[in-house]
Amino acid sequence: MVSQNKLLCYITKPVVRLMDEHKPTIYEPDRSIKQGYIALWKEIFRDMKESSWLIRQLFLRDFKAQYSQSLLGFFWAFIIPLATLGTFIVLRSSGIFTGGDIMVPYVIYALLGLTFWQLFAMGIIQSTNSLVSAGSMIRKINFPRESLVFASFGNAIFSFLLQMIIVFILFGVYGFIPHWKFVVFPLMAIPLLLLTCGLGFIFSIINGVIRDLGRLLTLGLTFILFITPIAYERPDTGFVSMLAGINPLYYLSVAPRDIALTGTLSHPLGYFISCSISILVFFFCWIIFHLTETRIAERI
Amino acid sequence: MPSIKDNIVSQKEDAVVIKVENISKKFSRSLKKSMIYGITDITKNIFGQSSNSDKLRKGEFWAVNDVSFELKKGECLGIIGPNGAGKTTLLSMLNGIYMPDKGKISLYGKTGALIAVGAGFHPMLTGRENIYINGAILGMSKEEIDEKFETIIEFADIGDFLDMPVKNYSSGMFVRLGFSVAVHCEPDILLIDEILSVGDLRFRYKCARKMQQILSKTSIVFVSHNLRRISRICDRVLLLNEGAIVCEGPPDIVIAEYMNQFMDLEVAQNDVLIKTAIEGIKGFDAYLVTENGRKTRELEFGKSFSLNIFIKSEKTFSDVVIVASIITSEGILATIINSDGSEFKEIKVGENWIKCQVIDPRLNPNNYKIRMKLETRLGTALLRSDLGYFRVKHGKKKNKEIKASIYSEKVTWDVL
Repeated sequence: MVSQNKLLCYITKPVVRLMDEHKPTIYEPDRSIKQGYIALWKEIFRDMKESSWLIRQLFLRDFKAQYSQSLLGFFWAFIIPLATLGTFIVLRSSGIFTGGDIMVPYVIYALLGLTFWQLFAMGIIQSTNSLVSAGSMIRKINFPRESLVFASFGNAIFSFLLQMIIVFILFGVYGFIPHWKFVVFPLMAIPLLLLTCGLGFIFSIINGVIRDLGRLLTLGLTFILFITPIAYERPDTGFVSMLAGINPLYYLSVAPRDIALTGTLSHPLGYFISCSISILVFFFCWIIFHLTETRIAERI
Repeated sequence: MPSIKDNIVSQKEDAVVIKVENISKKFSRSLKKSMIYGITDITKNIFGQSSNSDKLRKGEFWAVNDVSFELKKGECLGIIGPNGAGKTTLLSMLNGIYMPDKGKISLYGKTGALIAVGAGFHPMLTGRENIYINGAILGMSKEEIDEKFETIIEFADIGDFLDMPVKNYSSGMFVRLGFSVAVHCEPDILLIDEILSVGDLRFRYKCARKMQQILSKTSIVFVSHNLRRISRICDRVLLLNEGAIVCEGPPDIVIAEYMNQFMDLEVAQNDVLIKTAIEGIKGFDAYLVTENGRKTRELEFGKSFSLNIFIKSEKTFSDVVIVASIITSEGILATIINSDGSEFKEIKVGENWIKCQVIDPRLNPNNYKIRMKLETRLGTALLRSDLGYFRVKHGKKKNKEIKASIYSEKVTWDVL
């Protein structure tokens, strides 16, 4: 009976696409080296184009799932950055540090800087864990793994946009009118995002092979926040000042605030170098990620 | 209505869709070593150097070793072998999840996999949401999913559960939904790993029908331990062991080879007697003979055959009975033949030849083995021969399968 069915299907076989139209997919060791870098980039961008809908779906998946069993829902996206802000306000009002010469209420000053810091911090934590938390999927299904990393930034960006709303509310409350150049404020998130994404690529892979990184990062970020003068004025001398001078995160987080408050950059050179570094890091790390993603499946 | 297009398609029937050339894959036995090797390889690649993956380092072994095969369009290739033979690793390489360490795989067409259905489902989200996400992960576009959405939920048949989080699903429903999404991707090449036996009876029937549909337009690589299904679906079978191909060919021959090699190892080691509770029995052998007197391991369905038994004894036994159980490859008892009440009653000193003729056999086409027992007043002896497995194949005319019933064979016993 079964073989009769098989025969029937054979006769009523529908017209199928001809295979010759496709270029074959080839799997072999060290393929990237044989292809060369140009072909590699072509492949990367093609993957990217094809997976934009997948990235959106992956983001929605995490986003919906995250808030589906929570009473406060996406208010958490407000609460966490506000808690960090609160910490600094308490520290300042109890005199642990005194801000230098700031011309706006401290809340606005701190929030403008922290908004960018949060974008980095949330982004880097979620992207670092993006591969490991999708382990079973990676081991079973073949899809562009970059999409997992890209999708992991959705939450950080969403939270960033919510904080922008708080910024506007505070402007209203304090009757503060920012410099007109403030309109570019959201665009200034781009270099920071590129840097975060680049580091996220590398960290997600390292975390896939060595799990220690994920834990270390959560610990390290708080420390970095306290030694980076984002929510307080950079001292003129000393260790913190020196560290800030070589830390791209400092320039990338502080520059947007400078624009909002004064319309000029306080460290144009530092900002320019940081932006360049970000772009380089992004592309370099992306290609490394692409080269290594096939080795990751067997180790996650 | 045959059209020009159909002709073109039939001409392209011979087109190769999967070409696997000498691929090998190595794994490391220790996790820590694997970590270190991984980092070295990645670093080498980044600096444009070959990772020399074709050589084994300390603690590594070949999980798949020098495997080559081709799959033509519309063909179904089965892969069988004992656990740890490298079947799943091979499938993962075809699926692009692992890169081969040696050799080359070329795939012509969109590849899909029914490997772990439901991987990528988020337990907190509803079935509806998961269909879109899973579809996207499997490479479907939004339009494609929109278009197939109704068919997917109809096939999964989960009713009101569609808008409930999948964590509330029964395991059967979960798999049904996963299978339904995966099966509607309509790839040119489909990789299947042992998942067809999911869900309840109704769903399994549906799956089987869907498989028939898919078979007609897709090239399939099918890994399974269900030998019966392999022999039904596949055109060709690969037998793997320890990462290498043992043999390749038509399903029945390869399956018989597999069973002879791996399922009856104990027999191969003890070709005479395994366990005997009776002293004096010194030798035993048995083989099948066709109607025209040829020794064989392949019988034609419905044709009579005989089982020739040889027993060498040092004593005389009277009132003996030989019981032969014929068991299918799935381990189900097909029939029992016994010599009780026949002419054969005693074993003499020296060589005894007994011929058991089965006149109207009721064995359906399948693979079988025979277990034989010798019962005497003094006890029972289990007789084992190197007969191993034998096969009953379809006759020239299409036969309807017979409902076998135990003790239904017409048998005569003769002492030669």
